Amino acid sequence: MSSTLITIGRSGAAAARANLELTAQNIANAGNEDYSRRSLGQSELVGSATVGLYSGVAFNGVRIGNVQRADNALAREQARATGSDLARADAELEGLRASETALEQSRLFEGLVDFEAALTRLASDPLDPALRITTLETARQLADRFQLANNSLSDARELAQSQVAGGVDEVNRQAATLARINEQLTRTEPETAGQAALFDQRDAALEALSQELGISVEFEERGVANVRLGDGNGPLLVDGTAATALSASFAADGTAAFDLGGAAVAPATGALAGRTNALTVQADLQTQLDDIALSTITAANNAQANGVAQDGSAGQPLFSGTGAADIALALGSADGLATAPAGSPAQSRDTSNLSALIAAIGADDGPVAGSDALLLGISSRISGQETTRTALFAIAESAQGALLRETGVDLDTEAANLVRLQQAFEANSRVIQVAAELFDTVLGLR
Amino acid sequence: MSIINNSSSAFYGRSLEQMSALRSSIESLQTQIATGQQLQRASQDPAAAARLRAISRSEALREIEEDNVAKLGQDLESAATELEGISEIILRARELASQAGSDTNGSGAREAIAAELEQLSEELFTRANGLTLTGEPLFAGTAGGPAFVRAADGTVTYNGNTASATVPVAPGTEIERGVHGQQVFEFDVNGTPTMTFALISGLASALRGGAADPGAVARDAIAGLDVALDASTRNQTVIGTRLAWIEVVEQNQFERSIASAEERSRVGDTDVGDTIARLQQTLTALEATQTTFSRVSSLTLFNAL
Repeated sequence: MSSTLITIGRSGAAAARANLELTAQNIANAGNEDYSRRSLGQSELVGSATVGLYSGVAFNGVRIGNVQRADNALAREQARATGSDLARADAELEGLRASETALEQSRLFEGLVDFEAALTRLASDPLDPALRITTLETARQLADRFQLANNSLSDARELAQSQVAGGVDEVNRQAATLARINEQLTRTEPETAGQAALFDQRDAALEALSQELGISVEFEERGVANVRLGDGNGPLLVDGTAATALSASFAADGTAAFDLGGAAVAPATGALAGRTNALTVQADLQTQLDDIALSTITAANNAQANGVAQDGSAGQPLFSGTGAADIALALGSADGLATAPAGSPAQSRDTSNLSALIAAIGADDGPVAGSDALLLGISSRISGQETTRTALFAIAESAQGALLRETGVDLDTEAANLVRLQQAFEANSRVIQVAAELFDTVLGLR
Repeated sequence: MSIINNSSSAFYGRSLEQMSALRSSIESLQTQIATGQQLQRASQDPAAAARLRAISRSEALREIEEDNVAKLGQDLESAATELEGISEIILRARELASQAGSDTNGSGAREAIAAELEQLSEELFTRANGLTLTGEPLFAGTAGGPAFVRAADGTVTYNGNTASATVPVAPGTEIERGVHGQQVFEFDVNGTPTMTFALISGLASALRGGAADPGAVARDAIAGLDVALDASTRNQTVIGTRLAWIEVVEQNQFERSIASAEERSRVGDTDVGDTIARLQQTLTALEATQTTFSRVSSLTLFNAL
């Protein structure tokens, strides 16, 4: 009887110690983002089915149960989905900002206005060599600015493309990791510390995947995760222990397309989707920039063709090229600026051809208005995207908070547990001591 | 009993997020004060940025237009000076013509009148070929060469054209640069086209004995010189009107420059008082957040164990 008491005390002390260890583990991992709070299952141990004097009260203490991992599938899915949305908005915003910087810092609009202003000044005295040279140099600067804008924009595009490639690598790495974890999960004893650790890794991999692209997850027996792209009807990225490779390809205009195991896929959320959107916008901006460059080239060269140079010869093209990438000053000498209309004699001070060019540059559908519209378009888009991003951030934050409430470690709770378990350990030790004393008492009977 | 689990990492994450949001807003306010500009990127306020672009374009163009107006004003002033001189010459020629028209003049007196007339014709030719400050002919229309050329036999012909160049001085407004030589020096007398030069030199050669009755020729010339004077003063009026117009345009440009500076300041400049007040407010909030954060984070049960 006293031996039972010792057994009970020992089991209680062991349970308290195991619990203390788990508490220490929780505290140690309080800063680990992938860690989910653990708790220890306990069950009463009752001696049963024994034929004994006191079989009705055959207590045997406590049995240390399984390691339980705090989890909430719904909160986790919410956190993944909202995090995916936020990652898309962030990535898109980053790409758009880079394009805005490219177009704004190249000061293309100012370059066009300078060109317009130089032409207007030239109209006051069309034969003044100083004004002619200034105008020609302003045209050269304008061509440089077009090229600068073009290069900055293609830098932004290359950056986004390399990020897409990096994202695809990350997806493939995480998918392979997940497949390996799935395999280990099938071979791990359920409800053990080992399984809980694998679950932590599995959820971390899923989280990393959802940052890059929107996924839906189905859990099988033993917590094996199957991952589909997009919603529940999407193609399988990870099927049990097999992962399908994702690859990205880039079209000539820079836009990205994805391919999962031979089938074309289009991520709707996640950083990859955001970068894809940004690349599409950048391709559109490139088209607009080329249009503006072409309309500048056309307006200037048409005006030149309709006029005559200072020496009365037919006007030669001012710019060469067909877009922002290859626009360059073609006119070699300032004397070649065709300010006078065709048919005018040499040294004509007639500026009607120049006026036509000024009007074409400043027209409502001309290059100045075009570059203004270009900047307004991209900046409005960013401004709208920022508003969306703020909302998505708040949503993602609250989903993350909800998940952490379920799975995170609360140091105050753990501190309270420490005190409680310490007391439990001491109480159980006391039980053993009492049992020993009882034993001694019985032995001491005479 | 159900226990609400308040994850420690969530608390730290939230606090850090709040503090970094405050810090970034402080930085943006500081940049606004340091640069004096409200907008660092167009996306902060797309509409205001577009407005600023439109203002900067109109300012750049207005600056050029102001220069153009100033230059045009100088050109017109030069033309007005020359025209005034031309009118005086014609008046003097008319006086001489009426003197020569008197039959009491001897041949010596007619010679003297003819000599002065030839001198006047010379001066008229110089004035008609007057140049702007930058060396362009005043009365040649849009042609580049001298306005009038004199042939070996002394005949003066117009070398310019009848086109008139315009100078852009305001959005949608262009002012003609001047008047061309035909307007000033060529006209019809009694249905016959003639020139001021031909009238004066014709009179001079008649007085030198080229005509049987120099007195009659001189009396006839008076009517022609009246028409010449009329043409010259009419063009003086035209130039004067344009100069007045330029003054209006200059006044206009001045007013527009003030309006656009005001608009630029309203749309794009930092309201320093307002921004400093907001900066102070945000700084206070950040300090308070930091204080409460360190208080709350030190409130852990472990300290009590």
